[in-house]
Amino acid sequence: MQNNRDELENKLMPDQQPSPRFEIDSPEIAATDFHIGNPHIHITGMNGALHRFPGVQSQATALLPPGGFIPTWKPYWPKLKTFGLTFPAGIDFLPVAAEETSDSKLQDLQAPKSSTGDGKSAKKKPTRIKPPSDALSIEDRLFYVLQPPLESWLKGQELIMPFEPFPYQYEGIAWIFSQQSALLADEMGLGKTMQAITAIRLLLRAGQLRRILLVCPKPLIPNWQREFKMWAEEIPVTTIEGDSKRRQMIWQMPGSTVLLANYELVVRDFMAMHEDDFPMFDLVVLDEAQRIKNRDSVTAKMIHSIPRKRSLCMTGTPIENCAEEMISLFQFMKVVPKHASPDIRQLSDLSKDYILRRTKDVVAKDLPPRIDRDEIIELSPAQEQAYKTAETDGIIQLNGMGESITIQHVFELVLRLKQICNADPLTGESSKKDRIIADMEEIAASGGKAILFSQWTKTIDWLAERTKQFGCLTYHGGVPTKKREPILDQFKNDPDSHIILMSYGTGAVGLNLQFAGYVFLYDRWWNPAVEDQAINRAHRIGATESQIIVSKFICKNTIEERIDKVLQQKRELFHRILGDSDNENTSLSMSAGEIFGLFDLKARKGGKAKRIGPKKAKPEANAA
Amino acid sequence: MTQSTDQQRFHLGFLWVVHTDLGYVGGLLVTNHLGRPLEFQCTAPVRPNKTQEILYGPTLQPFIYSELIGKTLFERVKVQPELIIISQVELIDLRTSISVPVACLIDSEDSQRELPDQTRIQLGMQQLRFHPDYVDDPAIVQKKCSRISKDADLSEPLERVKDALLETVKTNAVA
Repeated sequence: MQNNRDELENKLMPDQQPSPRFEIDSPEIAATDFHIGNPHIHITGMNGALHRFPGVQSQATALLPPGGFIPTWKPYWPKLKTFGLTFPAGIDFLPVAAEETSDSKLQDLQAPKSSTGDGKSAKKKPTRIKPPSDALSIEDRLFYVLQPPLESWLKGQELIMPFEPFPYQYEGIAWIFSQQSALLADEMGLGKTMQAITAIRLLLRAGQLRRILLVCPKPLIPNWQREFKMWAEEIPVTTIEGDSKRRQMIWQMPGSTVLLANYELVVRDFMAMHEDDFPMFDLVVLDEAQRIKNRDSVTAKMIHSIPRKRSLCMTGTPIENCAEEMISLFQFMKVVPKHASPDIRQLSDLSKDYILRRTKDVVAKDLPPRIDRDEIIELSPAQEQAYKTAETDGIIQLNGMGESITIQHVFELVLRLKQICNADPLTGESSKKDRIIADMEEIAASGGKAILFSQWTKTIDWLAERTKQFGCLTYHGGVPTKKREPILDQFKNDPDSHIILMSYGTGAVGLNLQFAGYVFLYDRWWNPAVEDQAINRAHRIGATESQIIVSKFICKNTIEERIDKVLQQKRELFHRILGDSDNENTSLSMSAGEIFGLFDLKARKGGKAKRIGPKKAKPEANAA
Repeated sequence: MTQSTDQQRFHLGFLWVVHTDLGYVGGLLVTNHLGRPLEFQCTAPVRPNKTQEILYGPTLQPFIYSELIGKTLFERVKVQPELIIISQVELIDLRTSISVPVACLIDSEDSQRELPDQTRIQLGMQQLRFHPDYVDDPAIVQKKCSRISKDADLSEPLERVKDALLETVKTNAVA
């Protein structure tokens, strides 16, 4: 090892003298076994390369190919589809006189007085308008869904009401509002007029109506005028009246919103017009719509032909005689085609969609109770004598007629006997008159008011002469129309006027006499529905008396007892049909068979007694 | 007969968004100051995809409510409302996208209802809260307050919008 080292030193530094050598004396150190860092370079002959710089060369290399899928995202949302509905502009009427004096700010308008108090009414469930079942398009359905609840519409915000409607009336208004075809058949006295007027008012405001025709029986024209003034003072009402030229002008006048006309004038004027000239209406309302129950009648045909968009029928007695009568109403409402004859089951199905009927016992529990009492009266001796003679002679005469007997013959006898029950034609004796005077003395003494109904204007006039002491007033077809309204006003306001005598035909429908606490049916009508109409002049919403007493005069052992029995059965039937329309027996008026049945009429033929009368009771003979 | 004068006019917009099986659907009902409907617009259902759900995170719903549905409906209505009334707080940011005030109905059971707050005003039977960044909004609306009846229930028209939206979804009116 020492030799190698010397050789290396000589090679690396050949010109230099080797450095003086020193010895390490310590034997321990000499014995260590590690090397001091001199590299071991073997002599290979190539070590000269270590003195050269290394050669560096550059070379171009191709870039990496681009990366594959790089996920990117930007906040893109597709354009949203929308669906829109614009509501027609409604009619804004000039404010009524009462509002003109107040400030235009809304909160200053007087809200209608609530019968239940403000606190309670705010908690009521609002009445929303539901889309009708026959509204299929989404626009039609949304139109109704988006209408405000009636309460907010009516209560102080937009329309002034004289008093707040009852909840069932709100429902009725909402229902009429949404129906293109409707038959409002609420029982008499539940406020059909008010519901119709308010619905018209709302439809006008909603831009659904511009021109309305309201057809009613002639005696009810003043009633409708009064009701419009009370419930919708802002709506202009034009009554069709005057000579034919003037009427023609009114029919064609574009500005009138509500036209009020009676059935007779509508029929007459439309018959005189060419079909192309018929005025067009957005809504035609028929009050007492049973007037068109016979679809073959001229009245029905002309009324059916009035051009219109919406139809509203109103009647408390949708079925007066038979269920088939409804077909004519449905035809008017464009629910059934012209010559359709739906069966009872189909009519029942249609009724569910197009008829709204509520009865007093269901909706108006706060009505005063109605007390019906049959006043059984014995005929006076003179009346009894006259009655027996007339009956015996009459039956003999009828029996003698044999097969040639007709309903008219029997009818005449019935009428004659009924008149004798009212008063003896010879002596003027009348047990009924005596009873009414006795009753009226008591009623007048207590300041009460009574309505008396009779079939005959002659009886009414005769009785009026004998009840003058009670401030008697008369109201029947013989009284000129212009005088009728003042008579009703006098009856209402004159404290000395305690009784009004009315005929069924003129006084039974549409009048509001809720201040009267007593109703007398002096003689009986043939149809319980008409009797109920009469009774409900007093027994209706807003009745002021604590109870309504209805007295039906029935003379003992006379035809009146027999008629009463039949009417009782009819009344029960009436209730059954309205609750359940599949009842087959739908005749409500007394049929021919029933009128024959009032007497035991038999024709003798070859020693055998044969019953006289129609083979089967049919509903076509409407004695009323 | 006369039309309402401009001084009386105060059109209100009632906006509601509902989440159905088909997605988010919004409806805007414009009424006059009495609540009578003037125009209604509703959207087709909006259904965010998974990516949108992940990337938007918790901001997805306010975005869909305000910027997507609310703004679109406001731009589509022809009868422009002067105040948008909402009861869903997610919609309050709509104010940042449109030029008219947006007011949120305060729940009658809100514990802070009685506390004084300049961003609130009384309108009809309800208290309204405005977007905190738009301090002038309460004053703008306050000027027109007198046109709204004191017994007007401003939450009621929103019920109508809800019913109308259900009706459109049921009938698949906007696909």
